[in-house]
Formats: sequence, C-alpha cells, structure tokens
Amino acid sequence: MSSVDAVVIGGGVIGCAVAYNLAKAGVSVAIVERDDICAGTSAACDTAIHLQSKSPGLHLRMAQESIKLFPELQKDFDEDIHFKKTGTMIAIQTREQNEVMRVFAERQRNNGLDVVILDRAAAVEKQPMMKGDLVGATYCTADATIHPQFLTKGYFQAAKKYGAKAMLHTNVENIALKDGHVASVITNRGNIQCKYVVNACGAYAPFIGKLTGLDIPIAPRRGQIVVTEPMPKFTHTIVNCARYIAAKFRPDLLGTSEADRMGIGLSLTQTERGNLLIGGTREFVGYDTRTTQKALLYILQHAANILPALKDIHIIRTFAGLRPFTPDGLPILGNVPGIEGFVMAAGHEGDGLALSAITGRLITEIICEKQSAYDFDLTKLSLERYKNLDIKAFEAQYAVYK
Amino acid sequence: MEANTAKFICRCQEITEEEIYKAIEDGATTIKGIKDRTEATMGLCQGRTCRRLIERMLPASGEPSRERYSCRPPVRTVKIGDLLKDESSKGEFE
Repeated sequence: MSSVDAVVIGGGVIGCAVAYNLAKAGVSVAIVERDDICAGTSAACDTAIHLQSKSPGLHLRMAQESIKLFPELQKDFDEDIHFKKTGTMIAIQTREQNEVMRVFAERQRNNGLDVVILDRAAAVEKQPMMKGDLVGATYCTADATIHPQFLTKGYFQAAKKYGAKAMLHTNVENIALKDGHVASVITNRGNIQCKYVVNACGAYAPFIGKLTGLDIPIAPRRGQIVVTEPMPKFTHTIVNCARYIAAKFRPDLLGTSEADRMGIGLSLTQTERGNLLIGGTREFVGYDTRTTQKALLYILQHAANILPALKDIHIIRTFAGLRPFTPDGLPILGNVPGIEGFVMAAGHEGDGLALSAITGRLITEIICEKQSAYDFDLTKLSLERYKNLDIKAFEAQYAVYK
Repeated sequence: MEANTAKFICRCQEITEEEIYKAIEDGATTIKGIKDRTEATMGLCQGRTCRRLIERMLPASGEPSRERYSCRPPVRTVKIGDLLKDESSKGEFE
C-alpha cells in the first residue's frame, strides 16, 4: 500500500489547483482521477474569468482575490495559460433588465468592482459589433479570459514538479475510515493510505460523498456552447447579456417559454486562436452531456440578435458541459462534520476557472492548519450550511440521478 | 522514441509530433487527452486528417470506447445566418 498525506480525487481544474498548492506547500499528495485531466467540465466550458457574474459579497470577493493570483501562477508554470484582462460588457435588452442590472452594478461597485452602465449609443460606440437588439450595456475592465485546458494542465504539471503523484485512469472504489478519521482510499489500482481526502469531483462530487455516507447537494447543470471558425478580433471584451446573469442567479426573473426554461443567456468569448465560443444554456437534465438542436438554435438566435455580424460566421463544433450547481450558488469548501480529514472542494458551477486559484490556497490552508491569509467566512462555504436541506427533494428537483 | 520537431501532425493548429509525444508522456492515452494538452484536432477540419495519425501514436492502453465523441469533423462548416434562416427558434426572442 502506498502512502501520502493527502489524496485529491478529481483531475479537473479544481483538483489540479488543490494538488498544486498542497505539493508546493510540502504536503505529499496524490491526484487520483478516473479518466484524465480536464476530462469533464474543465474542458467543456468557455474561457471567461468573470467578476461581473459573481454575486456581490463573499462570492465576488473570492473571485477578486483569485484573479490577482493568475499572473503569479503563470510565472510558476511552464505552460502559457493565456491569461488576459479583457473586460466584459453585459447587453441589456429591456427596461426591466436595466433596473435589475443597475441595482446589481451598484452593489458590485460597493464591493470595489468598477462597473458602469452605458446607454445604447455609448455601448455601440465602445463595441461596434453590438449593434443589435439592446437598450444599453454594462462595462467593466476587470474581467479576464484564460485557456481552461492549459490552466488545468499548468496546475497539473506544476503539481508534479513539486512532487505530486499523478494517478490517472484510476477509479476510487471506496474510502476507508478509522475511528471517524479518513484512513485510506481504495482504488482499482491499489490502496493509498492517507490522512486527508479532498473531494474535487465537481458535478460528480455526490458519488464520492456517498462512499462515506455524506449527502452533498450538488447537481449537474448542463451548458451548451457553439464554436465558430477562427476569426480576427471580433469583440474586444467578453460579451454577456442580462438574461445570462438572471439565468445564473434568478431564473425566476426569466419567463416561462422553452428558451427561458433552458436558461438561454449570451456568453461570448474568443480564444487566442480566434474561435468564438458562444453560449449558453443552464439546464437540469441529469448527467446528459449531449447537445440539442433546439438549444443551439436558441443560443445562436439570441446571440445574433445582440451581435448581428455573427450571421456571417461559420460554426465548426458544438459541445456541452456539466456545471456543478449548488443551492446557493457558492462552492462547498472545507472540512465536513463527522469525518476527520474529509475535505470538500467542489460545487463551483460556472466559476471553477475563476475560483480555482483561491480554492487551491484555501484548501491548503485548511489542511496545513495555517492561519488564513484571507478573512472569508468559511462557515458560509461549509457542507454544514446545508444540514437542514432535504437532500431527496433536492435530488428530485434538480434531476441529479436522471 | 526520438521525436522530429519539424513534423507537423495537426496542420490546422500547427501541432508537432514532439508536442504529441510530450502530451503522451504527461499521461494522455486518448485523442481527447492529446487534444486538451495540445489543441491538436481543434482546428477548422476538427481532426479529419490528424486524428488517424494521432491514434497511431497513442499507447496501446488507450480506451477506444471513450473516443466516439471527441472527433466530429464537419462535412462542411455552416454559416450561422443560414442555420437561423428558416428555423422555428425565430420569434422566441423577438
């Protein structure tokens, strides 16, 4: 039996970020991944590191601290992670949306995020491609883009550089406890003795939780995305729409049409290669990663309404990924009640890239029992905050095992 | 195996044989593993040419069952405007 201090389960951006930070801090760590790095959500997303899409408060503050860390990470990585400050504009299409976004932006400004609201003329002047159906737009320069797979690979390779052991294509079959403490992880390739297990399995985190009898309220939320041919610079910022923000935080504000129920909202980013990634949906359909013609057409229709020039661009691919949704939109991080050494690092929904850097830091502080460099209220992120949640009702409502 | 840096495997994205072997060394055993680490197969032709070349370079332990969906070369690319022309999605946002 091999032996390490910590086993990180999950080779997505969160698991690799946690393993990197642990290894760098001198903790002996193994990454156990049933498939390969970026096998799931971390390669089925767009490139946005969004601050504007974070709820003002703890969520936004974590993202603000996280985004500061990427230039430093780049210095430590061999891989170019394509981190770039681009800013975001959020298209506002109705007066009702304008009111919601005005309040949202004001709260963000009070949290130190410089978001302004432009009228239609000013928005089009700033972003000439955005001359479709809109009454105005928000503008913020703090948002950035990144290469999701290269970021994950960057964490992974740097983790190995600092001594982390990589166990890819290795399936976790059980977690053995001893006197209420994590004792070992049982895999199809042997057992690993350890003091800590980090559950970084994103949308699949509930399955790892079940191995130790834990109920983890995370549901897969599907996001479909269209990829276009490479283009010269199309927009100089990320472009979203107010529906995207509503679909994320207040689906009740959307209507009841089929497109509303799919959570259609615009998210447009451009890769360094020039491909546009046009999203997206927010759908509760269990672990189904197929794309649907209906949703893709809604996505494109909505995008072209805001950016009419898209109509002349060719698409080359479509894909879907599963975002790990939690009831309050915040990730589940840290120790869990009743099982010493079992640490959660999952449930980031669409914020995994943005929050990966800070998540790696926080989990490492917890495992190393170090005084935190941040003043986040970690009780708001703990699994324990859901102790009164009816897990059966949650699983049924959000089609967890559909 | 000695890799020749001058050999391009994925022509769309200009990914070399050396980069593919580096990805294999990093743990990639499938086309998707290569793709995520190098951007090979992600260009305009979506792996029509390089997929077969990469498959031959992969270690024998690769799991072919996982590969069904990772390469989907389009017959031809489609203009967004053409897709939207006669579809029922119109009106949903108008």
